[in-house]
Amino acid sequence: METLLETRDLSKLYSIGERKIQVLQSVSLTVQEGEFVVISGSSGSGKTTLLSLLSGLDRPSSGRIILDGQDITDLTEDQLAPVRNQLTGFVFQAFHLIPSLNSLENIMFPAELQGDQKAKEKAEQLLERVGLSQRSNNFPEQLSGGEKQRVAICRALINEPKIIFADEPTGNLDSENSDGIIELLRGIHQAQNATIVMATHNKAIAENADRIFHLHDGRLSVER
Amino acid sequence: MKRVINGRFLLRELLYSKKQAAIYILCVSLSLVSLIAVNSFKRDIDRSISGDARALHGGDIILHSHYDLSQGLQRAVVGLTEGKKATAVRTRAFYSVARKSDESGSLLCNIKVVENGYPLYGRVDLASGREFSQVVGAGKIVVGQGVLDRLGIVVGDQLLIGKSLFEIADVILYESAKPVRFFNIGPPVLVSYKDLAGMDLVKQGSRVAYETLLKMADATTVDTVAARLRERGLVGQERVETFRDAGSGIKHFFDNLLFFLSLISVCTLLLAGIGIESSLSAILRLKEKNFAIIRSFGATGAYLLRHYLLFVLILSAVGTALGIAVGLLVKGYLSVLLSDFLPPDIVFRASAADLSEGVVVGLMVVLFFTFLPLWRINNIKPAVIFRSESSRAKKSFTYYLCIVLGFSGLCVLLIRYLGEVSTGFYFLGGILLLLLLVTLMTRLILYFLSKIKWRRPGARLAMRSLLRPGNVTQSIVVTLAIPLALLLIIYLVENNLRGTYIDSFPADAPTLFCLDIQKNQQEAFLGLVGGKVTLHPVIRARLISINGKVVNRGRELKKRRDNLAREFNLTYRDALLEDEILVAGKRLFRKDEKGEPIIQVSLLDTVAEMGDMKLGDILQFNIQGVEMEVEVTSIRSRTRSMLYPFFYFIFPEKYLREAPQTYFAALHVESEEIPFLENRIVQGFPNISTINIAETAKEMGRMMQKLSKIVNFFAAFSILAGGLIIVSSILATRFERIKEAVYYKILGADSRFVLHIFFLENLLLGLLSSVFAIVMAQAAAWSLCHFFLGISYAPGWGACLGLVGLTIIFVVILGLLGSIPIIRKKPAQFLRQLN
Repeated sequence: METLLETRDLSKLYSIGERKIQVLQSVSLTVQEGEFVVISGSSGSGKTTLLSLLSGLDRPSSGRIILDGQDITDLTEDQLAPVRNQLTGFVFQAFHLIPSLNSLENIMFPAELQGDQKAKEKAEQLLERVGLSQRSNNFPEQLSGGEKQRVAICRALINEPKIIFADEPTGNLDSENSDGIIELLRGIHQAQNATIVMATHNKAIAENADRIFHLHDGRLSVER
Repeated sequence: MKRVINGRFLLRELLYSKKQAAIYILCVSLSLVSLIAVNSFKRDIDRSISGDARALHGGDIILHSHYDLSQGLQRAVVGLTEGKKATAVRTRAFYSVARKSDESGSLLCNIKVVENGYPLYGRVDLASGREFSQVVGAGKIVVGQGVLDRLGIVVGDQLLIGKSLFEIADVILYESAKPVRFFNIGPPVLVSYKDLAGMDLVKQGSRVAYETLLKMADATTVDTVAARLRERGLVGQERVETFRDAGSGIKHFFDNLLFFLSLISVCTLLLAGIGIESSLSAILRLKEKNFAIIRSFGATGAYLLRHYLLFVLILSAVGTALGIAVGLLVKGYLSVLLSDFLPPDIVFRASAADLSEGVVVGLMVVLFFTFLPLWRINNIKPAVIFRSESSRAKKSFTYYLCIVLGFSGLCVLLIRYLGEVSTGFYFLGGILLLLLLVTLMTRLILYFLSKIKWRRPGARLAMRSLLRPGNVTQSIVVTLAIPLALLLIIYLVENNLRGTYIDSFPADAPTLFCLDIQKNQQEAFLGLVGGKVTLHPVIRARLISINGKVVNRGRELKKRRDNLAREFNLTYRDALLEDEILVAGKRLFRKDEKGEPIIQVSLLDTVAEMGDMKLGDILQFNIQGVEMEVEVTSIRSRTRSMLYPFFYFIFPEKYLREAPQTYFAALHVESEEIPFLENRIVQGFPNISTINIAETAKEMGRMMQKLSKIVNFFAAFSILAGGLIIVSSILATRFERIKEAVYYKILGADSRFVLHIFFLENLLLGLLSSVFAIVMAQAAAWSLCHFFLGISYAPGWGACLGLVGLTIIFVVILGLLGSIPIIRKKPAQFLRQLN
């Protein structure tokens, strides 16, 4: 197995007014291709921040991030765009679907960005796979929480990214919907040998992971 | 291949933001409406009134004087006509009283005596349809309908003018040289030149406009011949103009009115521009998180910018089309409002120029006012998803360059519309200063309000609501306060003018002016009118130079106010009038070592300001051919109404006693007695002109009312811009407002409490806007009345209170209407959506 993601001494410092908050301190980790990695930790421990750095959505205060052999730390916003579009997929806790687009269009959007002629076809297949074919014309406000998250997962998958980041994907869902989403992600991991980095404080979900890291006060430790 | 534009996404975004988009479209159209209306109207006026400049001025070359042409110029004209190079027609225009043949009624008329061949260009339409040249002749005149209506006579009746009895041969329907006659004191009468001497009205010093109109056989020689004639004419006394450069009173009136409307339109454009910026910012602020999401799966800043630029252009195109359409409709309404002032044959139409102007202005306005919000899109980062912070736009060199270029472009555009570079700069500078001032005042007040410890929870929450992020309180106050101030300024100035001239017509103020009284008529005139009447000597003269610097006639004639290039009425006396005080100099005139006054002049402060003249300055006058240098030894000011007679220049008696002069008398007569006295005066002295000042003041009042109605109509568009920003602000903060309303309800508050908070918030907004408007309007109106019009000032607090009340009602109603859907939101439904 090859290393897909590697971080070296990653730190993140936020300034809120006069106050400086150290969210992450010297985080170093490696994720191998095909691994299912869970980052656990209590609320406010820095899980979301770490995922946003790993996926290139935010910049570290110091340290390096190497994704698929490419150092993405100093890339500009526009240089990061193809990385976000083709190399990574992101599933948010709060779904973050675009309210003006229906389910199908939300899923198609990342593929359309790279001019994929088969975007619609792929989106329809993904919707079918998650059991939401009937909901393709529905807008986000017409979907339940579980449905929204399944659409969000489809959107993260459409460009067949090498790595999927999922930030508390079941955090806003009831237990029944949570189970469904975990099943879906586990299925994707198994069927496609997809690399998944998931932030969660749900111990039951962590049970299924290849490796578990624990974040406490901005410091990362290996739990398993 | 990557698609440059994702049409579906664009369409969805347009449809999803329809409410805010509607506000944006309205702001774009509002920014154009009045500008399109005024400019299109201006084009129609130009086409109709001055399009055929030859017809308007009556010839290729116009020789104008207040005296018979000088011998040199006369010889030159004769040379041209005898050499068949030109056809010439002479006219004499003056005011005189026409009487019914039985002396039972009289009327001041605008008399024009014309030579055979008049008009050289254009036409005079008569009610009978006959040719003008075949109707007017010795003993036969044509008159305006007003003469018949006001004297109760008909065509065929006889009319006495001066010493001649005329038959009314027809009625004038239209005269190219006078397409509109709203400012004429009396209705028109056209008389044949053959009857000029018989009337015996033109005496020494009479106010007569002498014109000689020339029609050139070869049109290409107009400029060279005019230049040659100009060399022959007496400088300062005779004016030689071509149809291209001659001034026109009518055109001047419309230029002034439309210039003022242009100022208001530009003001509306700028305020609607704030609305454009504010409503687009509101749209984009609501979408900020979406932009971050889109960027999180790989869209570049350029991708978003491209789509939203197109988004803005599509909405702007709709707004521009709407603005052009409504602008043309408003132009139609403007022509109704101005119907009393327009020529009967004016044609209103929508031209290609109207459309292209709308598109160009629309594009420039949109690009300028949307630049800042669009620039911010480029800098939105995906991390915004995780943090509820707003991205700050990176301000690079390009950013500042774009701002400078955009601002310069906008300035050029606006100055082009105003037509005057210096006025344009002053106006823009003034508006920007005003914007800055109101913005600073608003910030300051809001800062202090935020520091107050409000005891009542309603007031505290309303304050917080007013200061909430995304609430464009500042923009609302600015866009409401400025047009409200404008409306109040117009009202206050109009009210003060009315108060000075019409309503508070002083009990002893003159009601009848008598002009052109000859020296030998003094005693007889005083005997006829009885009582103690002062006769003021009037000597006509021109100001040639101030301290050796020649008065620039070209520049002076372009002034919108009074100018130094015109002919002045000088007088002489050795004492101040009752209503005069000295503001500079120890006495009216200084004495020399022998106790005699030196050659000197006393100025009225208004004329001193016009030419920046002060004590000790040397003025050179041309007094009917005689040049005289005088020193300024005192400056006077007036303490009473402008209705009392006043003179700019007063000389010591000794130096003007022998100059050719007439006399002027201002009489106080009860209004019902004026017609009888006018009749007696004109019967005894046909050459004396009388002006019923009381009636003229009333007529002026009526005209002022009409004009202020037009101005108010245009200013109302600016208020609409303020209203749109209120709605836009409510929509932009809708989510936060619903959330708060839901939380209040969850905590046990009822709808009345929520409504109370929104009410207080809007009350504060209305109060702030109207108070700022009053402060600005009072300062501006006082300055205008004090410095510009020279009249006393009444602040009109009643109207100000009314403004506060109406503004609060307007803002509160608009704010509450926008908040009703928010109050109606069920807490459970909202919380479910939130989760």
